[in-house]
Amino acid sequence: MTAMIQKGEEVLRVRKLFRKTRFGFFALFGIVVLAISILSISSVSRELRDEYVSNSESIAKNIADSSVDILLNRNLATLQSLIDQFVQIESIRYIYITSDTGEFLAHTFIPGIPEEILASDPSATEAVERSLPGLGDFVEVGSPILSGVAGTVHVGMDLERLGLKIQRAVGQQVYLLCIILVTGVLASIWLVNLASRPLTELLEYVVTLARDKESDRSTHGDVLVRDDEIGDMARMMQYVADDVGLARDEGTAAGGGD
Amino acid sequence: MTTRIGGGGEGEERQKRPGTMTRRSLVRSGLGALAAAPWAGRLGAAGIHPYPGLRGRTAATVQDDEIVLGVSAAFSGPSRGLGTELYRGSMAYFNHVNENGGVNGRRIVMKLLDDGYQPDPCVANTIELIQDESVFLLFNYVGTPTVTRALPVLKKFRDQQVYLFFPFTGAEPQREPPYGEFAFNLRASYRQETAGLVDNFLSIGRRRVAVFYQNDAYGRSGWAGVREALARHGETMAGEATYMRGTQFGASMRGQVEILQARSPDAVICIGAYQACAAFARDAEDLGLHIPVANVSFVGSENLLALMREGRSDADAHTRFLVNSQVVPSYEDTSLPAVREYRELMARYDPPPPDNVERITPGEPYETFPQSFVSLEGFVNAKLITEIIRRMGDNPQRSGIEEAVFAVRDYDLGVGERVRYGPDRRQGLQMIYYTVPEGERFVPLEDWEGRFPVS
Repeated sequence: MTAMIQKGEEVLRVRKLFRKTRFGFFALFGIVVLAISILSISSVSRELRDEYVSNSESIAKNIADSSVDILLNRNLATLQSLIDQFVQIESIRYIYITSDTGEFLAHTFIPGIPEEILASDPSATEAVERSLPGLGDFVEVGSPILSGVAGTVHVGMDLERLGLKIQRAVGQQVYLLCIILVTGVLASIWLVNLASRPLTELLEYVVTLARDKESDRSTHGDVLVRDDEIGDMARMMQYVADDVGLARDEGTAAGGGD
Repeated sequence: MTTRIGGGGEGEERQKRPGTMTRRSLVRSGLGALAAAPWAGRLGAAGIHPYPGLRGRTAATVQDDEIVLGVSAAFSGPSRGLGTELYRGSMAYFNHVNENGGVNGRRIVMKLLDDGYQPDPCVANTIELIQDESVFLLFNYVGTPTVTRALPVLKKFRDQQVYLFFPFTGAEPQREPPYGEFAFNLRASYRQETAGLVDNFLSIGRRRVAVFYQNDAYGRSGWAGVREALARHGETMAGEATYMRGTQFGASMRGQVEILQARSPDAVICIGAYQACAAFARDAEDLGLHIPVANVSFVGSENLLALMREGRSDADAHTRFLVNSQVVPSYEDTSLPAVREYRELMARYDPPPPDNVERITPGEPYETFPQSFVSLEGFVNAKLITEIIRRMGDNPQRSGIEEAVFAVRDYDLGVGERVRYGPDRRQGLQMIYYTVPEGERFVPLEDWEGRFPVS
C-alpha cells in the first residue's frame, strides 16, 4: 500500500514535470511573439513614417517643379487648382505655397491660415512636426521652387492617419503572431501529451508490478511490446520484479524449511 | 460623374404651360413649319433630340438643320441657380432665333450636362461633349474650378479646334497662356471687378480691405485680384478667411467672421458662391461686423438676396451693407436696347429650368427669377454667339470660328459698350457695374460715400 502511494506520487511528479514543460513552451512562445511585436512596431512605424516623409517630399518637389511657370506667369488660380488636386491624396492634409518674400500665395486652410503656420519660417524645407489646434498633429516637409528664389512648397501629412496606418500594419502582424502563438502552444501541449503517455503507461505498469498482482499485469501488456526505450524499461522492470519475486519466494521456501 | 439628358421631360413640362401647349397642339395637328421650328428647337435646346436618328453621331459637328453647343454647368448643388439662370437667359434668345428660322436656316440647340460645379465631372463632361457628342463649340460653362480643369482638355483636342465660349467666370486661366487661345470671354475679369471694388473702397477712406473667399481656383483668382489692386495703392490685405466649395447657406460662418473681426477691416470683398456668401453676410451682421460686404458677379445677386431675405422681417437690416459688382448692366436699365429685348423675350418665353438634365444631386427644387444679372449675361452670351455663327455663313466649320470671332470689331450688342475681339484681345466687354440691394432687387450704386460713410 505504501509502495502504491509512493508510485502514485511519482506519477503526479511526472505530470507536474510536463506541466512545467508546457508552461516553458508557452513562456518561450510568448517571449518570441512579444519580441517580434516590439521589433515589428518599431520597424513598421519607422519605415512607414520614413515612407510618409519621403512621399510628401516627392509631392512637395513635384508641386515645386510644376509651379515654376505658373508662378512666373502669376497665375495663382491655376496654382490653387494644382494644390487642390494634390490635397486629395490620402493623408495629405494641407499644402501651402509661400513666395520668396514669405507671402502666402496659395493654401488649402479653412477657415484661415493657422497662427503657428503664419509664425513659422516660410522658407524652411526640413521635416518638422506640428501640432495645430483644432486640426491635429502633422509632419510637414518643404521643397524650394526654383532653388527658393520663386518660393517654397509646404506639404503637411496627417500624423493621426499615419498612426492609424501603423496600428493597422502592426495589428495585422501581431494578429498573425498571436495565431502562431496559440497554434504553437496547442501543438506543444499535444506533443508533450504524446511524449508523456508512454511514461504514464510505464509508471502504471510499474505500480502494477509493485502491487504484485499477476492479473493486473495483463491489462498493461501493451507497454511490454513497445520497441522503444519505454518498452525496454518495462521489460527490465518486469525482469527485476520477477527476479525479486523469485528471490522472495525462495527465501520464503527456505524459511519454511527451518 | 457625368450626366446625360434624358428624354421626355421638357415636352411634359411644356404641357403644363398654356402658351406652349398651343405650340405643341399646332405641331401635333400638323399646321406647318412655322410652329414646328420652335417646338423642335426647344426640345433640342433642352436636350431632347427631335430627330432620334441623329443621336449618337460622332463625325459631323453641324447638321443641315442645327448647330449644337455643348454646355457643362451647375444644374444641381449649391450653385445650381447660376447654371440654371445662365441657361434660361440664353434659351430666351435662342428660342427667339429658332422661332425666326434659326441662323442661316439652322436652329441653335444646347446639349446640357450637369457638373454640379465640381471639376472632375466637368472634365468628364467636356470629353463627352467633344468626343461623343461632337458639339460645334462649348458654351456657357460655369465656374473657375471647373473651367480651369476643362481647359487642358481643349488643349488635348486642339487639332479638333474646339473653343470654349463665354464661360461664366472672370478668372485668368482662360485669358492667359497657356490656355487663353482656347477660350473666348465676353464678361470682364475678376481682376477688373476686384480692382474696381478696391479702388472705390479706398476712394471713400476704407483702406483696410479683407477677403473672404472660396478656397479653390475661383477664390484664389479673386484673392489675387484684390491683392494686386491693393498693391497698386501701396496697401496689403487686412486679413483673409476661407470656406469650402459647396458650403450651404445653413452653415455657420462664425469662425470666418471672427478671423476677420480680429483684423479690424474696413470692408470685406467676398469671392464666393451665393449660398456661402449669404451665410457670411448674415453672420457678419449678426456678430457685429458692420462694414461693407462686397461680392463679385459670380455670386448670383438675386439668388443671394433671396436667401438673405427669406423669412426675415428685418431683411433690409441684413442686406444694408451689401454691394455687388456686375459685368452686365442693370436689367432695370431699359434705356439699353439689349435690356429691353432681354426683358421682352424673358417675359415671352419664361424658359423653365432644364427639367430633364440628369442631375448629380437630383430632386432639388429651384424657383426661377423673372430677371436676373445672371440670366441677362446668358442672354447677351447667346446674342453674341448667334452673331458669330451668323457671320460664318451657310457652312460653318470649326476651323472658321477664330476668324469669325476676330471679325467682331466694334459690334454693338446693345449693352452700352461695343464688343471687339482680336488675336490679342479675347475678352469682349470691359465694363464693371456696382449695385446695392433695394428691397428685393439690386439697383445701381451711384454714391459710394453716401452709402458707406466712414464713421
